[in-house]
Amino acid sequence: MLSYVTLALAALFLPLFPFSMVFNLLLSRVQRGWQRGLIILLWPHIGIGLLHVADIQVSPWVAVWGVLTALLYAARALGLRDMGAWMGFIVTSSWALLWVAEAFGPGGELTHLYAVTFAVPLVLFALLGEGLTRRYGAAYTGLYVGLASSLPRFSLVLVLVVLAAVATPLFPGFFAMLALMLDTVPHSTATAVALALVWLLWSGAGMRLLTDLIVGQPGSTEVSDLGYASTSGFLVGLGSLVIAGLYLVGGMS
Amino acid sequence: MGEKLNIRAMVYVAAEPIPYFWPMRSFIHHNPLHGLEDMPFETAVEQGRRLFHARGYLPRSEYQRYLKQGSVDYAALESGIGEFAAQHAVPSGIDLARWLLTLVTATGLEFSAVSRMSDAALVQAALGGTPMATDGAPVDVSQLSSRLRDQFPPDMPLCEVVDALYGTELSVELDERVIRVCLDFLDEGQSVWGMPERERGLFAAWRELSRHDMFRSPDGEWARQLLEANSDPEGVIAQAMAALGIPEKHWVGYFTRELARLHGWAGFIRWRSSASRYHWAERYPADLVDYLAVRLSLSLALLHQRRMQPVPRSLTELYDAVNERSCETYLRHDFHSGAVMPELAHRVERVLALGRRKDIEALCGDYLAQRKARDSALLAQRLDQLARLVGDRELLRSLDDVQLQSLIDALVAFENSEGRIWLQAVESHAINRLLEGTTLAAEKVREKRPFVQSLFCIDTRSERIRRHLESVGDYQTYGIAGFFGVPVSFIELDKGSENHLSPVLLTPKNLVLEISANDSRDDIAVGALEKALHELKESVLTPFVTVEAIGLLFGFDMIGKTIAPQGYHRWRRRLHPNKPSTHLLLDKISREQADSIIRAVQRAVIVKAVEQELGLEPERITDDMIRELREAALGHVAEAPRILSLGLSGVEANALIDRLRSAYRINASYARLQFERLGRIGFSLDEQVGFVSQALRSIGLTRDFSRFILLVGHGSTSENNPYESALDCGACGGNHGLVSARVLAQMANKPRVREGLRGQGIIVPDDAWFVPALHNTTTDELTLVDLDLLPPSHLVYLDRLRNGLTAASRLCAQERMPTLQMGVARQDASQASRVALRNSMDWSQVRPEWGLSRNAYFIIGRRSRTENLSLDGRAFLHSYDYRLDPKRRLLENILAGPLVVAQWINMEHYFSTVDSECFGSGSKVYHNVAGRIGVMSGNISDLRTGLPTQTVLKQGRPYHEPLRLITMIESPFNHARRAIESVLSIRRLVRNGWIRMLVLDPETGEIHLFDSGDWRSLSHLQADVKPTTQDACIR
Repeated sequence: MLSYVTLALAALFLPLFPFSMVFNLLLSRVQRGWQRGLIILLWPHIGIGLLHVADIQVSPWVAVWGVLTALLYAARALGLRDMGAWMGFIVTSSWALLWVAEAFGPGGELTHLYAVTFAVPLVLFALLGEGLTRRYGAAYTGLYVGLASSLPRFSLVLVLVVLAAVATPLFPGFFAMLALMLDTVPHSTATAVALALVWLLWSGAGMRLLTDLIVGQPGSTEVSDLGYASTSGFLVGLGSLVIAGLYLVGGMS
Repeated sequence: MGEKLNIRAMVYVAAEPIPYFWPMRSFIHHNPLHGLEDMPFETAVEQGRRLFHARGYLPRSEYQRYLKQGSVDYAALESGIGEFAAQHAVPSGIDLARWLLTLVTATGLEFSAVSRMSDAALVQAALGGTPMATDGAPVDVSQLSSRLRDQFPPDMPLCEVVDALYGTELSVELDERVIRVCLDFLDEGQSVWGMPERERGLFAAWRELSRHDMFRSPDGEWARQLLEANSDPEGVIAQAMAALGIPEKHWVGYFTRELARLHGWAGFIRWRSSASRYHWAERYPADLVDYLAVRLSLSLALLHQRRMQPVPRSLTELYDAVNERSCETYLRHDFHSGAVMPELAHRVERVLALGRRKDIEALCGDYLAQRKARDSALLAQRLDQLARLVGDRELLRSLDDVQLQSLIDALVAFENSEGRIWLQAVESHAINRLLEGTTLAAEKVREKRPFVQSLFCIDTRSERIRRHLESVGDYQTYGIAGFFGVPVSFIELDKGSENHLSPVLLTPKNLVLEISANDSRDDIAVGALEKALHELKESVLTPFVTVEAIGLLFGFDMIGKTIAPQGYHRWRRRLHPNKPSTHLLLDKISREQADSIIRAVQRAVIVKAVEQELGLEPERITDDMIRELREAALGHVAEAPRILSLGLSGVEANALIDRLRSAYRINASYARLQFERLGRIGFSLDEQVGFVSQALRSIGLTRDFSRFILLVGHGSTSENNPYESALDCGACGGNHGLVSARVLAQMANKPRVREGLRGQGIIVPDDAWFVPALHNTTTDELTLVDLDLLPPSHLVYLDRLRNGLTAASRLCAQERMPTLQMGVARQDASQASRVALRNSMDWSQVRPEWGLSRNAYFIIGRRSRTENLSLDGRAFLHSYDYRLDPKRRLLENILAGPLVVAQWINMEHYFSTVDSECFGSGSKVYHNVAGRIGVMSGNISDLRTGLPTQTVLKQGRPYHEPLRLITMIESPFNHARRAIESVLSIRRLVRNGWIRMLVLDPETGEIHLFDSGDWRSLSHLQADVKPTTQDACIR
């Protein structure tokens, strides 16, 4: 009985549908970027910790449930215009895959590492979202376009952060996804294919988001671009992420 | 029948605003708003903005840049603003003109976007710093409905309405489907596999294809019923419009907007359906009725597709939704058009998704109140900012809400007039600059004739080379339309089709053939290799193998073109033999000659036919046998008895004769056709005299002929450039102008033509020789042609002539190159010349030359009036001497032809600059050739009309200065005015403000400008000696 309760709690923190709705509800209530970032950083580790403390062996069907949850949220992210919700769905989708790491992968510390890998780009994304809200009143796609022209530095950082969030090569998410897929193939090819599909959907959602923000003729609203110091801060952060990813997840250590 | 005609008539009228699109291989500059030229310029620009969703003027920031650069007449700007201010009542104490001048010169503020939902009382409260009440008043549903109905007029395509309300992309999908149909049907040889049954026409072929495509899809049910019920396009259109519920009185407007969605493809279909003798149109007919039938059918299919949420599928359903669910419709429109307040966007999306009517209405009230408050606050902020700059901040705060509203109304109204006022101020500066450099000083009396007289095309690029040529020696230059007044249909050596070398306004009647003066060329090996390569590339499977097998060769080709374009180009040229020396067949052939030619051709064909059909050796075929066969095939005799001596039976002989008639076209009707065609070849002597005389008179060259009279056509050379023909001579139908120069030179050098000219009072001395030449506008090179015909007496002067031409070329390149290269200061002449040459061979060069960019002036008059003024390659210069034209015929011809074409060029540059994406063709970098007709952006788009950004923009900013063509005629005022009035097209363009017309009266020194519907005197120049027109006429 206790293990089921632990499992249910873990499903709340490593969001499995429908428990995932709680996390997304909470995230939608929190508006400050740093608060969102903090939640994103900490949330999954509670779930992983619970699993490890209770020493629960994750069954393959839970992993499949995780992949289906990831698919659901990745597909929904394709049509979202609110950047806060988009972030919540992508992070939910990626954390749901941690069940696969626990079921088919080595688990343990590596799962924590994967969680950090998926979370850090979205923490940066949360901060950027807050920046957009400050400038335009909301972080929402389709209302203002052409950021590449009006906010070139901000756009550069946003593009890189989104690429990191959707696990494109060199960013640690890429190596984490690759490792998850390689771990899954021996156990279930179908699940591995579903994982690949999730990855593809993330890319689609990311590109759609960027297209609706970056491309086009900017409007007449005058807004200030990201400062040089902030831009450098973000770029250093992303650079560190790449290097850390290469060493910690990418196998260069 | 009546209904069909009615539909056809409506489509015809609806298509009027859609500009023609000519195939790119003969690029024709055109005014994208040509169909609206019967309206005043400002009205047409506004109409164009609505129809094409395009901008008609530059943004304010660009005009402000011009102001900083000194390219704006500040006085004219002030005056324009003053005129506007005088027509608008504002509260006392407010100097509206000062407010507006500050607004346009010192700020980027705009008021119209935030004024729509604002409230003067709230603006006043915000200005006073009092908190604004944001409680939502009850929603005025009728006002909301009325506003929505204004936003969705009955002529707005329903797919666009649905997109605006539901965030769908039906219009984009519809466009893509229509483009695919156009690409398949209109392809001119790019695709290896063509659309089936194209011969039946666009609609019929597509309808047939749809049976295998759309009909099978469940979404196609509606379209299937529509197409099965109607086999003709008119019926489909009528039924589709009825299904869409559009009242018949709005059909024309609806059609226009549907056509304007893809105005490139629609413009091409419109052009090809009206083009005479256009091979592809004759073979695969299509018109806009077909096009609309296809588009409307697909549009209905999309609206009725099953996966769609319930959306309005007719105008009635739309207006029902507007009336019954105003709040929802309003919020939907704001949300999907991007106008929604960002702060409420998420809430609006959520509430609309849930669809609860009560929630929607509550949100709508809240939303409207918040919107009103926000817009009022923004408006107040902007007004305050402007008032602070003007120094009227306190005055602004003291205004009551009625006074405030009148000020806001004036500011908003000004935004509609601002572009016009800026444009007039920029034009005024350009006019002043021209007049400052214009002189009325008497022409110098020459002691001897000039060394060379050169006739250049009026093209703006000739201005530079003319100026430099005049500076390096005793060269006199003239400007004339680049086809030299001789419309020619030309068949080039080794080509089988006619090419019209004349402005598109004319259709040449006479045909000129190019014939080789050398032995036939032996380039079979290279030709066969190229053919084999093409076949390998175009087949279905072979490209896979070809890439592996010979892909590397193409790699070398790429490296050569990229690393050393000049050297590689020279090497490549060696693979192809030089074009042999050729002559032009210019003279008319007599009836007897034509008859003899046809007979000879028929005999040659019959010999080949007998060889092939009967497998006979040539020695067994006798002349008599051939004569008999020919007579029999033409029906002159019943049989050909000698053929029987070869052992053929009577039946076999008759079969051969039938085959000669059908397969080898030895028959009476084809002979008549050949006879007619031969009749088009060449010009009669009278025609030749007439053309030469007309050309010389039109430019005022009727005496004091030099030893050399150069006829300089122009053309460009560039690599990998679909727009190459846009850089060639517009007066020659987008072709090189050399052939036209050769034609006129060949005519003018004939003794019998000169005799005819003498009869008309034009005495060309025996030692005067007309030499054709080519001005390569990319490299600035001037090349003399047909020198083998030059009299020996002239050879001794050839070196001096060549040196002069080379010097002018280099100086021209030296002046031009810094405008093409970023951050490069003036180079020495030879270096500049080398860079120009490289540009012409570099396949990665997106801007080999600026072409006609920055064109601004059209000057009709004697060269002496502007010869001291550097016009920076911005002026079309047409030589004209009013003293030779007492009846104004020559001037009328110049106005009706060259000026009209120049106005098209000018307007194409204007609109491509002010809205590069819509009226222009965007960046060349994304262009792909489509169907060998034009280019598309990416893999699927409308045919890109207009000019690419690389032609009109430099580093993202306008390089071309968008002005209306400033035309100056040097002639007595009444002389010019009457000519303008008698040429309808020009009268319309001048009166409607599409051309800024100036008349420089050399007899009074007065300058007249047509402005605001009337002529007004501008200023005086120092007048010439004042002969009367009649006295001054030479004949």
